[in-house]
Amino acid sequence: MKKEMIRIENLKKSFGELEVLKEVNLEVHESDVVVLIGASGSGKSTLLRCINFLEIKNGGKIVIEGEEIDPKSHNLNEVRQRVGMVFQHFNLFPHKTVLENVMEAPVLVKKLNKAEAKKEAISLLGKVGLSDKADVYPAKLSGGQKQRVAIARALAMKPDIMLFDEPTSALDPELVGEVLATMKELAQEGMTMVVVTHEMGFAKEVADEVVYMHDGQIWERGKPDELFNNPKEQRTKDFLSSIL
Amino acid sequence: MFDLAHILDVLIESYPLFIKGLWITLKLTFVSILIGTGIGLVFALFKISGIKILNWIANIYIALIRGTPLIVQIFIFYFGLAELGISAFWSAAFGLAMHNGAYIAEIFRGSIQSVDKGQMEAGRSLGMTYGLTMRRIILPQAFKRALPPLGNQFIIGLKDSSLASFIALNELFSIATTQGSRTFDEMTYLIIVGFYYLILVLLFTLLVNLLEKKLSAGE
Repeated sequence: MKKEMIRIENLKKSFGELEVLKEVNLEVHESDVVVLIGASGSGKSTLLRCINFLEIKNGGKIVIEGEEIDPKSHNLNEVRQRVGMVFQHFNLFPHKTVLENVMEAPVLVKKLNKAEAKKEAISLLGKVGLSDKADVYPAKLSGGQKQRVAIARALAMKPDIMLFDEPTSALDPELVGEVLATMKELAQEGMTMVVVTHEMGFAKEVADEVVYMHDGQIWERGKPDELFNNPKEQRTKDFLSSIL
Repeated sequence: MFDLAHILDVLIESYPLFIKGLWITLKLTFVSILIGTGIGLVFALFKISGIKILNWIANIYIALIRGTPLIVQIFIFYFGLAELGISAFWSAAFGLAMHNGAYIAEIFRGSIQSVDKGQMEAGRSLGMTYGLTMRRIILPQAFKRALPPLGNQFIIGLKDSSLASFIALNELFSIATTQGSRTFDEMTYLIIVGFYYLILVLLFTLLVNLLEKKLSAGE
């Protein structure tokens, strides 16, 4: 049995009157890639953001690597170091070069010395295929390059889990592939990943489990084969036929 | 009235006096802007902190300063601080700093809030604290955006420093009024002092523009 990296029990989240997550249960094991799909407004991004406490839950339990995290008493900064996140809009730091973007957190948070952080940052940029862009400012990069830098930046903290919030949704179609390739490589290296995406090809190919969310709930989940080819729920069928 | 040759004559012969006043004006402006920027930053952070009590303190401060004339504030500081043995220069400096601080607070608040929310989230998601993300990620971007309105406020601050003449500080404007009434040639001295302010403002504008260019490198 693989180690349990994330366990979510009866998670609830509301924004004012709006109930965005209603009793969500999910567990993610080590090295697994879990892909969350569903229409916009179904709660998948909110679920992801609850996992690293960018949104604070209203009820239920979040267990990260065997430890229940209570946002009131836990040092969330420490938890977030173990749970990296990649955003739809990259959110690179525009006033810092690509290299500085990647080095920033290891130097400031992990107190790594600059030479060492630089060495690691350069190696990470090599890994995402952007060694030649180290001294460039983000504004000079294409969307796909920006997202790959964002992945390198998150990896620089050596997280145990990576969360991807629609990482290719803001990209021109021809740039989607390079980002997915980077993510696929990461999955093959054994990174535990939770990915919100509309890229069904990626889900089919890379995911260990696909989770269909609807109306703040997990409606159906299963191996990509089962869920895509043989969905049990009518809603899942309708959703899949609407996007494929 | 506009005898240019006469004005030039007076300008040349009076410049040692005006340079003294200019020096005081510059010191007063520099000190009050520096302290005012610090005050502005603190109150801007209070306003965006989401902590009710800090919010209230900032709102009351800004309402008081914006709701009363600067000249009243300067006199209150002057009489209030004189009792503590603080000089006219420093009471004027504090008064102007408090005044500028309220406006600068609003400038900083606006520019901080104009930085994309995703920047804070990105910082936090990397394990950086709120304070660290604010200092390293948000404020450098906010400051860059604040620079044009900040430059504007600095120019207002420079010109407002002339009100310190009311508390017997021998800055630029008070030189003009005392010389004017001594010689009964008020208009000439007023034109000359206006000229000094104009030059200062133009130089200052140039400086702010240079800084803006330098800061926008790479983007």
